[in-house]
Amino acid sequence: MATALASIAEIERELGAQRMGESGEPMQRTSVMTHLAWVPEQWVEAAEDVLAGLAERHPSRTIVLVPEPEADDGIEASVEVDCYPVGRDRKVSMETIRLRLCGNRVQAPASVVEPLLLPDLPAFLRWRGLPPFGERPFEQLVDTVDRLIVDSTEWPGLPETYERLAEIFDRVAVSDIAWARTSRWRPHLATLWPGIAGVSRVKVTGTEAQAHLLAGWLRSRLGREIELEHEAADKLVGVELDGEPVAFPPGDPPNPADVLSDELERYTRDRVYEDAVRATRM
Amino acid sequence: MATTQKPAAAEENPLLEGLRLRRTPDPCALVIFGASGDLTKRKLFPALYSLALRRLLPEKFGIVGVARTEESDDQFRDAMKAAVQEFGRDAFRDETWDWLAERMRYVATDFAEEEGQQRVVTALNELDEKYGTGGNRVYYLAVPPNAIATLIHEIGEHRSAEGWTRLIIEKPFGRDLASAKELNVELQRNFDESEVFRIDHYLGKETVQNLLALRFANGIFEPIWNRQFVDHVQITVAESIGIEGRAAFYEQAGAIRDIFQNHLLQLVALTAMEPPIDFTAESVRNEKVKVLRAMHTPGPKHVVRGQYGPGFVEGEEVPGYRDEEGVARDSMTETFVAAKLYVDNWRWADTPFYVRAGKRLARRETTIAIEFKRAPHPPFETSVEEELRPNVLVVHVQPDEGVSLEFAAKVPGQGMTLRTVHMDFLYGGAFRTGIPEAYERLILDCLLGDATLFTRADEVEEQWSLVDAIVAFWQRDRPAFPNYEAGTWGPAAADDLVKRDRRAWRRH
Repeated sequence: MATALASIAEIERELGAQRMGESGEPMQRTSVMTHLAWVPEQWVEAAEDVLAGLAERHPSRTIVLVPEPEADDGIEASVEVDCYPVGRDRKVSMETIRLRLCGNRVQAPASVVEPLLLPDLPAFLRWRGLPPFGERPFEQLVDTVDRLIVDSTEWPGLPETYERLAEIFDRVAVSDIAWARTSRWRPHLATLWPGIAGVSRVKVTGTEAQAHLLAGWLRSRLGREIELEHEAADKLVGVELDGEPVAFPPGDPPNPADVLSDELERYTRDRVYEDAVRATRM
Repeated sequence: MATTQKPAAAEENPLLEGLRLRRTPDPCALVIFGASGDLTKRKLFPALYSLALRRLLPEKFGIVGVARTEESDDQFRDAMKAAVQEFGRDAFRDETWDWLAERMRYVATDFAEEEGQQRVVTALNELDEKYGTGGNRVYYLAVPPNAIATLIHEIGEHRSAEGWTRLIIEKPFGRDLASAKELNVELQRNFDESEVFRIDHYLGKETVQNLLALRFANGIFEPIWNRQFVDHVQITVAESIGIEGRAAFYEQAGAIRDIFQNHLLQLVALTAMEPPIDFTAESVRNEKVKVLRAMHTPGPKHVVRGQYGPGFVEGEEVPGYRDEEGVARDSMTETFVAAKLYVDNWRWADTPFYVRAGKRLARRETTIAIEFKRAPHPPFETSVEEELRPNVLVVHVQPDEGVSLEFAAKVPGQGMTLRTVHMDFLYGGAFRTGIPEAYERLILDCLLGDATLFTRADEVEEQWSLVDAIVAFWQRDRPAFPNYEAGTWGPAAADDLVKRDRRAWRRH
């Protein structure tokens, strides 16, 4: 059930009303975080798919921010309280707030989001596409949340773009879905120690982001220059070290909701990732 | 205890830094004695399947099922496949099952037969050769108590010269202190204590482990977790089911051996124990043993036993215990036990632990309730104060796993009217990843050699010591059984046990 709402007070009132449930008994709310998603219009569909897979695993208040700078000033919101059964005769509710930031509101997203954050719980920001580093909406939200989750697979201009990302490492913990998608390969490559210590060339068949991050990881961990050769593919399907193919790691690749979900379980900085990002440029 | 670890070789191998690696058990073969039994079908194979599905079993793995029932490898595989499909918590995937089934062997034999033991050894050697299980063995003794001593001896005689050997022994471990000691002596003759895993599946339950997290990972509870702030503790292990066709076992065991000696005393120990210095098996078990040693034997007036008569459970008429198939018409076996226990140490002196366990009670529920002392001087009118109930922290072990806190709140409106309200944390509400079955956790811990969640020799002997003292004075009288109706909360005497202290069992 979606209702157009134009202020924080209206959003809160509607959340309270929907939490009451049909029987008039308040539904139990369980939250472990506030999950913000900055979703420009072109990413809305993909973002909704991932959120659907995520909702049950991480009970949270999800705030989907859709910027519409060309529209008239204001906010347009709808809220949704979903229930799912837990144990005997009990239901737990989760909340999704969809907020269209219109006109000048795009420039002050933190002031809209701050009153809606769940107190004392971590806040995660999923930013779809390339973040506008240095621009006000992004900078404001980065300072509002505990963790920023990006997917550098969605970015143009790699590896140069990683330089801008590295500049915010001291302000906010960062997760990168592209990095998470190399998580099956990294332990596998680690098993090649000590033979891998002297490697000088790596060929990665996968996305550009995965190729740069894997090469950056090897450079930063092994402390040596390693040349990267990249063969484009829509997922990570092969690694060669000095011309020798590495056997495929065991297990199935996780689905997008699982990858994001795993990142939502991390609360601290990932120094190994940060080092890998800094080493993406030789 | 954790399933992740910082790799020991991280200093040498820089690529390991930051990786969240899962511990993988060594290659090994699992031998299940009692492979045609209910436990194997309902719990062990569904657990093994779930572990296989999550790739938590070692790649080099094999299973040998051993039981008296005559059947082939394929018949055994079919029976276990059906069991996994019926009782498993995960969706059935052919490729996972095929991986497991390929590694399964079956040996039909009497446990004591020398020739049969040789066939088990042959099957294990074949697994070593074909799957590289390396002589490492886990023997799971899912057999009746009277078969355990023989098996311990036989396994000791035939233990592999290569690799390690571990034994998982199902409860009950003995039927009194003397028999438990005999078993321990037999074990010590052939095995080191670190090779012995006495299972109490309650310890594998997430909520039981969460009790330790609740106590020792939160700053707010431990400072008030003592006699100064706690009025008393109530622990309930209630079952709504009857004996489910287990008359032969239950007639011998009764509630005191079936539940009190193990599950109930484990819950008391975990509730009362001091913080361990770390989370290793020895540290945790040392603290639990200290609690058991500090418990003084309750006198006859502090223990109540009961036996259910006919009644109604969830609207269905059910027979009394003496009318169950296989039960003697004049059986004096107790199906309910309640006791007032004291842990005589600095933390808990004079704080009663009221415990009760029984079958055919009003509902299935396992809870640990910490009832705190009342506020010393609430500045409200007398009538308001009388309505005030003490704060209670309840750990719900099953069902509805979670924690709730009861506290007073003002009813909105004029005047000062107070009501007790609940603040609930539901385990399944906050963590939606699916709670693993206790047996999954315990089998995996054994494969990894982690005995933290298993009972140590001295621990089980302390438990029996307390039980023996109670059973001894039970010999002296003959209560009028049945003394409670099925579907109720036990005999009236259990209520009196608490009422005498001007307290009451929690309302459920």
